[in-house]
Amino acid sequence: MAARLLLRSALRAAKTCRAAPVPALSRGMAAGGIPTDEEQATGMEKIIMKAMKEGSDPYSILKPKAYAGSKADPHIVPSITSQRIVGCVCEEDNTAVVWFWLHEGEAQRCPSCGSHYQLVAHELPH
Amino acid sequence: MAHQAHAYHMVDPSPWPLTGAIAALLMTSGLAVWFHQHSMILMAIGTVLMLLTMYQWWRDIVREGTFQGHHTPPVQKGLRYGMILFITSEVFFFLGFFWAFYHASLAPTPELGGCWPPTGIFTLDPLEVPLLNTAVLLASGVTVTWAHHSMMGGDRKQAIQSLTMTIVLGFYFTVLQAMEYVDAPFTIGDGVYGATFFVATGFHGLHVMIGSIFLAVCLLRQIKHHFTSGHHFGFEAAAWYWHFVDVVWLFLYVSIYWWGS
Repeated sequence: MAARLLLRSALRAAKTCRAAPVPALSRGMAAGGIPTDEEQATGMEKIIMKAMKEGSDPYSILKPKAYAGSKADPHIVPSITSQRIVGCVCEEDNTAVVWFWLHEGEAQRCPSCGSHYQLVAHELPH
Repeated sequence: MAHQAHAYHMVDPSPWPLTGAIAALLMTSGLAVWFHQHSMILMAIGTVLMLLTMYQWWRDIVREGTFQGHHTPPVQKGLRYGMILFITSEVFFFLGFFWAFYHASLAPTPELGGCWPPTGIFTLDPLEVPLLNTAVLLASGVTVTWAHHSMMGGDRKQAIQSLTMTIVLGFYFTVLQAMEYVDAPFTIGDGVYGATFFVATGFHGLHVMIGSIFLAVCLLRQIKHHFTSGHHFGFEAAAWYWHFVDVVWLFLYVSIYWWGS
């Protein structure tokens, strides 16, 4: 009977431990004493770190996405103002780049190869 | 942060490039004045100005990166390229001295007795202090790697301990090498042997001292919590430099101390 009591109380103790597990900090100041970027990054580095984690690239660090350039799938050109210069390398290895201003509104076409470009408003984090 | 749409760091105007250039001018012209007019004052002023420039410029970089967060991933990438290119230029610097050594030793002239080591030169035994020095630097390479892994793993105590150990080993090498210099049976003036030996090992020793100071600054910064487990490029740069110093020593040991004895 004592054994059964012991077993039951042990089971209850085990269950309560499992019911509220304490998340052990495995990194950072509380664990080993060296801060993580999460804890200590500041300024631009922190802004970019946070943006990258959410999947956005406000400062154009990554290579731009590849678009078909057709009417249905135009090249998306982010801009902080209402117009931006576009340089179109119509075919791979072309040495003559076609430069033109892209304005907000309807998509424009490259005067040489006809690819579609669409200006899109871009918000900088602040 | 609406003032920039890019992740790069456009540095604020700074006086340190100008003071550094003036320091270089005063040091070099001061060297000439010392040679010809026996006065060290110009050279001394230049040296002081150089040390002040280095301290304040690097202090500003720490402020910009660690305290203000300007060292974004693209900026850090640029710093990495910079350090790699600098170390590459140092490799070429030492390559010149190795060229001089091999030019002199592969075809020894009749003035030397047609042999290497030259007649009358009693070389240092490569299996004595030079071998100990090799072990010391190799061990310091292990401890600096230990420090890096501790830092990445978030272990502050071990990072500080292993980095301190690295610096201690660096100082031990310097002390041993200084004692070798004092007790060497030949001098820098002893023909091409003395010249190549002391210029090559001398510049190496200077780089050991520079590397030790770089590591010591990193130790101070680590103690002050500047480094994070994910971002500690200053330390990585110091570790790269230290490994470079170690590799140069290995070439020196094999070429000059061992093959050249």
